[in-house]
Amino acid sequence: MSTTNITKEEIAAILPKVSETIADALGCDAADVKPDSSLIGDLGAESIDFLDIVFRLERAFKVKIPRGKIIEDARGSLSEAEFEKGGTLTPAGEQRLREFLSEVPADRIKSPVKAAEIAKLFTVETFAKMVIRQQRAAPAA
Amino acid sequence: MNAPSRADSGLADGVAIVTGGSRGIGRAIVGTLAAAGMEVVFTYLGNAAAAEETIAASPGAKISAKAVDVRDSAACSAFVEEVADRTERIDVLVNNAGVIRDNLLGMLSDDDIRTVLATNVEGAFNMCRSVLPFMMSKRRGRIINISSVSGEKGGRGQTNYAASKGAINGMTRSLACEVASRNIRVNAVAPGVIETEMSKTVRELAGDQISARILLKRIGKPEDIAHAVWFLASRYSDYITGQILSVDGGFKME
Repeated sequence: MSTTNITKEEIAAILPKVSETIADALGCDAADVKPDSSLIGDLGAESIDFLDIVFRLERAFKVKIPRGKIIEDARGSLSEAEFEKGGTLTPAGEQRLREFLSEVPADRIKSPVKAAEIAKLFTVETFAKMVIRQQRAAPAA
Repeated sequence: MNAPSRADSGLADGVAIVTGGSRGIGRAIVGTLAAAGMEVVFTYLGNAAAAEETIAASPGAKISAKAVDVRDSAACSAFVEEVADRTERIDVLVNNAGVIRDNLLGMLSDDDIRTVLATNVEGAFNMCRSVLPFMMSKRRGRIINISSVSGEKGGRGQTNYAASKGAINGMTRSLACEVASRNIRVNAVAPGVIETEMSKTVRELAGDQISARILLKRIGKPEDIAHAVWFLASRYSDYITGQILSVDGGFKME
């Protein structure tokens, strides 16, 4: 699925609600939740918080977000073997990840990227993009 | 300091989901939680008449029932969403639905193994996965899994059932670790031999031998289990998580 055609306007339209949802889930100050805040690095999220955030986004935007969806989308059309080897992203996988996470400042993605650490890169905008992709995949019932 | 009392359990006005509530232990759990002032929604597999009896047994209580096969994860999630959309809270989940298909291992059919594991283990997983997001977002919840004495101690003819209950014990301890930071407690109650339809055959076949191994010299009643569930759901167990509480009259294996 292409993500390049998600426009800045689309993201801007839902960012306030996404930020508020994330702030609620993490119990942090809404003012600290910036579009490029790393959830784990800047906002102190733990892996279990992702479940809570995804659940709250599902309810807030009336979309279904299958568990593990961001990682699955991150891989795009690459097979698992093409994407990573022994827990580290292949050059093709890393290139794909940089395209997919275009909202993440490039210097935060340090080569070689460990597959298990991809989630550390996710920003508030990453979640906004996921919501938009799911809204497109299945318009609100 | 006030002594613990039923009226002060912290359960009043809460919402509980109980799986397999139409008969036996499940019915007693439904009645006990409803008596504590909770709204109880229970599932049953197919016996609508028995489900009606459970509701009728507690006149005036807020009890409703829905036919849900806990083996079906989509059905579990749809059911839980329906309850949460209406009540906006799920305080307690009791995973009670369970089946037995006792036989010597060599005699077990594929279906005997799969049905027991799918209902007793996957059913609990399905319900936990459905309910946890709601509890996590509220930062509060209690899950009580109904295990069995068989989960810890061996029992001839119960390899499938014992395996399922051992799995429940492991799941209980591990899930407690995962969700403790969200103020969700996960515990199990491990009943011994209880006077229910499920244990009827074994009681008829070996009642005397069973009683001889129970320190308290009696078969348990469904209420004995329901009281333990009440305790683990109430605020009186606020500092207890990841535990398997045996409620078996002091059961001794050979």
